[in-house]
Amino acid sequence: MAPVDATAVLNDVGERAAVSPSADIASTGASQSTPPPRALGVTFWLAAGWIAVLLFVAVFADLLPVRDPDALGIRTREVEKFERPGWNAPFGGDGVGHDQFARVIAGTRPALIIGISVTLIGGLIGMAVGLASGYLRGKLDAVSALLIDMALAFPGLVLVIAVRAAFGNSIYVFVALFSVASVPAYARIVRGATLSLSERAFVDVAQAMGASKLRILWRELAPNIAVPALAFAFIGFALVIVAEGGLAFVGLSLDQITWGQLIADGTGEINEHPHVSLIPATVMFLTILSFNLVGDGIRSHFAPREVATRRRFRTEGPPSPSSGGSTLRVDQLRTTLHTQSGDVRVVDDVSFELDAGDCLAIVGESGSGKTMMLRSIVGAFALADVTRSGTVEVEGTDMLRIAPDELRSVLGSHIGMVPQNPLTALNPVRRIETQIIEPMRAHRSISKSQARAEALELMQHVGIPDPERRLRDYPHQLSGGMRQRITIAIALANQPKLLLADEPTTALDVTVQDQILRLLLGLQRDLEMAMILVTHDLAVVRGFADRVAIAYGGQLVESGTIERIFNDPKHRYTAALLSSVPDLELEPHSRLVTIEGQPPPLIDPSPGCRFAPRCPAATDLCHTTEPERTDDEDRWFRCHFPVTGDAEIETAGSRSTRPADAIRAETQGVN
Amino acid sequence: MAGTGRAALHDDAVLRVVDLVVEYPLDRKNVVHAVSGVTFDIQKGTTLGIVGESGCGKTTVGRAIMQLERPTSGSVELDGADVTQMTRRELRAARRSMQMIFQDPVSSLNPSRRVKDLVREGLEVWGLSEADMPPGRIDDLMASVGLGGPAVGERRPHEFSGGQCQRIRIARALVTDPEVLILDEPASALDVSVQAQILNLLEDLKEEFGLTMLFISHDLAVVRNVSDRVMVMYLGKVCEIAPNSSLFDQPTHPYTRALLASIPGHQLDLPPAAELISGEIPSPIDPPSGCRFRTRCPHATERCAAEEPTLVETSPGHFTACHYPHH
Ligand SMILES: Nc1ncnc2c1ncn2[C@@H]1O[C@H](COP(=O)(O)OP(=O)(O)OP(=O)(O)O)[C@@H](O)[C@H]1O
Ligand code: SF4
Ligand code: SF4
Ligand SMILES: [Mg+2]
Repeated sequence: MAPVDATAVLNDVGERAAVSPSADIASTGASQSTPPPRALGVTFWLAAGWIAVLLFVAVFADLLPVRDPDALGIRTREVEKFERPGWNAPFGGDGVGHDQFARVIAGTRPALIIGISVTLIGGLIGMAVGLASGYLRGKLDAVSALLIDMALAFPGLVLVIAVRAAFGNSIYVFVALFSVASVPAYARIVRGATLSLSERAFVDVAQAMGASKLRILWRELAPNIAVPALAFAFIGFALVIVAEGGLAFVGLSLDQITWGQLIADGTGEINEHPHVSLIPATVMFLTILSFNLVGDGIRSHFAPREVATRRRFRTEGPPSPSSGGSTLRVDQLRTTLHTQSGDVRVVDDVSFELDAGDCLAIVGESGSGKTMMLRSIVGAFALADVTRSGTVEVEGTDMLRIAPDELRSVLGSHIGMVPQNPLTALNPVRRIETQIIEPMRAHRSISKSQARAEALELMQHVGIPDPERRLRDYPHQLSGGMRQRITIAIALANQPKLLLADEPTTALDVTVQDQILRLLLGLQRDLEMAMILVTHDLAVVRGFADRVAIAYGGQLVESGTIERIFNDPKHRYTAALLSSVPDLELEPHSRLVTIEGQPPPLIDPSPGCRFAPRCPAATDLCHTTEPERTDDEDRWFRCHFPVTGDAEIETAGSRSTRPADAIRAETQGVN
Repeated sequence: MAGTGRAALHDDAVLRVVDLVVEYPLDRKNVVHAVSGVTFDIQKGTTLGIVGESGCGKTTVGRAIMQLERPTSGSVELDGADVTQMTRRELRAARRSMQMIFQDPVSSLNPSRRVKDLVREGLEVWGLSEADMPPGRIDDLMASVGLGGPAVGERRPHEFSGGQCQRIRIARALVTDPEVLILDEPASALDVSVQAQILNLLEDLKEEFGLTMLFISHDLAVVRNVSDRVMVMYLGKVCEIAPNSSLFDQPTHPYTRALLASIPGHQLDLPPAAELISGEIPSPIDPPSGCRFRTRCPHATERCAAEEPTLVETSPGHFTACHYPHH
């Protein structure tokens, strides 16, 4: 596929994968493994400090040792006309000798009163409207959504000016006006959040338990809306202060001293005496900035992004000497994601080789790093700060150390990718034809009609009936199975040497899965491609691959032919994994073998064997020393005390002949 | 069938669903025929597994039993009382003895609540409190589902793994001491090793609390492991319903055979799936006449288009809705 598409495909697998290393750590349950919420940072605390100072000043303004804000300097002689800022008057004086410092302080209280009351009144009403309309839906929602849209389209400031002109300049008028004007914005944001929350299953569950609508609204939805609403409230607060400033500027301010008024008053003298306007403007600016920063801080604190916010890819260390020959050579590949919670070692010392015509399945549980192994080969990471070391060679090209444009051409012409979810991998607004032809024309100089002819042939190849007509279709016009056939056709568009398939059938039904896997494996053999099939489904591996590698904690722990691994697993984790899967040959109601404990953390993994904390056979050696790779006929494994195959531990092949409880007792142990 | 028919019913069933129809109106002309005349029952203390592919109506059956969807027609009897005819108040009471566990364990828990409150809430919605229950009921339940220890109750769902969240959901469903537990893909979102823990746990709880279970899953191996009887659905209809071993050893409905043959790496005595099924699943908006499987069935004849097959007993306790069942 075209390079752009290649990344898009991986990003699709992706959002999940990019976040998964740490998300999986988050889900490992033990208290130490919950990621700390994102740190709030210096700017947040500075901003919060500023707000605290303002609050203090607003509350104690009358007690502060400052001059009377209305005292005229020209009369009292304490402050000069247009006095420059200095010891006597820190913010200087205005045209009649008012002490600007005292006036800025006097303006703090109205600013906060307006901000807080408008935010509270508008926010609470908006939240109630948004919750009710988002959850109860129906007519209520239709009406309020329409009203919200109308209100938001209405030039609110014009209304405010008109009403303000009619009802006078008291602070109450102001608060009432702005509260009404801000309701739609809050209602809209809360309604959106409620709509998406009420899709979540816990709302259904509450209903199934018999909870009343009011209870669901109040106990289930409101607490979850609180954080986004609070974040928005801070930003809304800032907007109110801006609006007051704007009104003051057109001469419609309050009957009290406000910052907006101070700024407006000073503008006439802005050239000769800039401080008169600029100082209150700076105070106002800092305040607005602080409220925005605090709002953003709250939002990101409660919705932590696990992956770094910048994109940076690095390669460390020299490549290992090339042996040549194989289609894909991965040697001591290590990939580290640098995240807020620490360095996540998603791929740790992974080596394998693939020749033309080979199919290797990589199997593992979620968070074991299997998707990351694929992404590390092509260098496609979503938003991340990544370091890779070791070697990845595709057809002799060092994928870690080539120039980006060269990488793009290797990706486009040698590597094909089949995504997990065909629906999101295809562009919904473009015809199938364009999506197949584009990668061809990006990497080969062929004419449009030639590309079209090839596309037709590909469509027949992947078993799409009536391909002529289907080429002109859009993705949504096809069924899930057909879409996956299309993504396979796109992956094959440039006759790649290496095919990477990440859970290609997980989103499909079992009868369709059978068809797609047969197609994919058939093509791989016919076209002599090397292929990696990443999956969590052991049955798929057993039914379709030649070789399998088992991933655990970012490493490969055992690899070999299907026969060898399924009949005689050596690594303790492989053995336990194989026997934990329910199997048709097992009698109904058989006890399944379980693996107690949780997958290992990928941040600061313990030394020694990653499986040691859960392994019944672990000794001190396992906890301190990482097992070396042991080569055995048709396979290798990394375990100090491999399963011997005698009565000591059961293997998948023969377990149905033994009482499962006995197996269970053996495999559990430690925890 | 697939088909209709009451042949497969028992006298001593706890839950009985008769001719259940659920249709979702799409627009003025069209309706989605999600469930079209499904009849089955479950005997006390047993597990019925429902299998079928995406969109065949499995989840809808579960939701309709819970009255989360009002059925278009048909009845759902719990201990002989028809829940579809109940007033809201009666229904609230009936729901106490039926609980449903949903597919996605993480999103089915409110992330902002403490675990113990979540479990306790199972009581509160009934206007009950811990005091109405035997002392230590909640702690015992948490221990039963493997979440023992005083500190656990204070934590919030996001601190738990998928498997632990599913344990919380199970504890919460059991707090009112229900008779029937409906499980919609309770382990599908979990890793295999964790899935095994949950499946074992469900078996233990079934024993401990004498539960009657409806187990919905697309995973045939899982259904094979937990069920006493298995029901296969296709496009809103029942194809086959039979004792577990009988269904897997002697599948007689062409669709069941295709489904089993599609399991990767299976060792069953069946031809390749490609010979048993072809084409794509038709739209539930305009399902085929007669047998709904006929557009993909290798044995279909004109009779299959004209006449809908009903459930017929092909061996003791084994019912199939096909004009030409496999022997
Ligand atoms: N609210 C709804 N409105 C319209 N159609 C619906 C609705 N809910 C379900 N359907 C349709 O009803 C049919 C049965 O859906 P149901 O969710 O019961 O299937 P399922 O067997 O549980 O599938 P899966 O294995 O994907 O969970 C499908 O065609 C589905 O698209
Ligand atoms: S190395 Fe030790 S801990 Fe690791 S799997 Fe082998 S026996 Fe278990
Ligand atoms: S043989 Fe006829 S009735 Fe039986 S499944 Fe096939 S189409 Fe349906
Ligand atoms: Mg479902």
